Amino acid sequence: MERIGMRTVRNTKGQMRVIETILASFIIFSALTFVNMFAVLPSSPKYETSDLEKMGHNVLHDLDEQGLLSRFVYNETEWDELALALTIFLPPDVYFDLSIYDAYAQDLPINLYFPIRYGSPEAFTASNSTASVSYIVPGQQAEYNPRILVLQLVRG
Amino acid sequence: MMIALMIVSIGAIMYRAGTYYRQEQWEEYITIVEHVRLGTIRLAEISLANYTASGNNSTLKDNLDQWQNDLRKAYPGYGVILTYNLADGTNINYSQGLASHWNETVSYSAASATFDLNITSVGLEGYKFMATAFLNLTILNVDALSSVITLAVKGEDGMPIKDLKKGNFQVDGLNITSVTSSYDPTYFLVYIIKCDGSIPESVPVAVRDQRGIIVIAKS
Repeated sequence: MERIGMRTVRNTKGQMRVIETILASFIIFSALTFVNMFAVLPSSPKYETSDLEKMGHNVLHDLDEQGLLSRFVYNETEWDELALALTIFLPPDVYFDLSIYDAYAQDLPINLYFPIRYGSPEAFTASNSTASVSYIVPGQQAEYNPRILVLQLVRG
Repeated sequence: MMIALMIVSIGAIMYRAGTYYRQEQWEEYITIVEHVRLGTIRLAEISLANYTASGNNSTLKDNLDQWQNDLRKAYPGYGVILTYNLADGTNINYSQGLASHWNETVSYSAASATFDLNITSVGLEGYKFMATAFLNLTILNVDALSSVITLAVKGEDGMPIKDLKKGNFQVDGLNITSVTSSYDPTYFLVYIIKCDGSIPESVPVAVRDQRGIIVIAKS
């Protein structure tokens, strides 16, 4: 009788271990599934946008540091060179569209009829991960005449 | 079971830490701070160029007042607040952050101000930086016989300004025929200005660098 009783207790303990293992696996599995829902993978639009933003910030900052940006921005005859400089600085699979605004009349870009762009306009409308970077240039030579640059970037 | 709960708890803490730093987008704010800093230095250069051309010593203050508002326009939603202190007195005789010491053998134009930058949206407060613009012109030698003036032009860091051409210089009452540069052990780079006609003993020489800042020195 005693032996049968001992076996029942051991069987019950074994069953509890199995249930415990199943429960533990379930907790870990559900936690991993939950975390995975929020994971930002390299291919996700959010990651892509911040990567492009960094690129945009860097290219404008580098041009400004070299003293080229204000020269390009304030001389309409040099907008071609500005487009060329951006094409050289950015990777070939990145399309860009730069708009130059007067800080005191921001309705329409100054370069409305002279797009400083690489890539087709459809690439920007079709993409769901367009990065946008703002940059302000205070003026050129002795004149304070701020212009705001808005650089849009997408992967081609 | 205990191990499973521990794994999940640690995972949750790690996840919270990771998402906190990701959502803060530190790099984006660092780039904005850097843009503001560089733009403000450019503003100091523009103001000094304006001051040396017009003599208006409230230029830097007026421009900075506008710059404070324009920064908010350029970076809406970030809460960019820039406050400034114009340099006054000290070694250089600044007035409202601007100074010009001209018509000497060693002459200069200078602008300087210190700044505090706050970006309220991320709780960044009191980021300090300085914006300085400086141009120094030193006349080293005037050779009346060969009509040659030798001079040195230096920027903020004390290093020579190296991209100056004939159009950047002006010698009072004389035509410049050529401007060449050569190495000098003390000044690293000196400009040799050859003029048309004989040079008087005391002659004012003006330089205007690529930023538009002017200095006039006299031999």
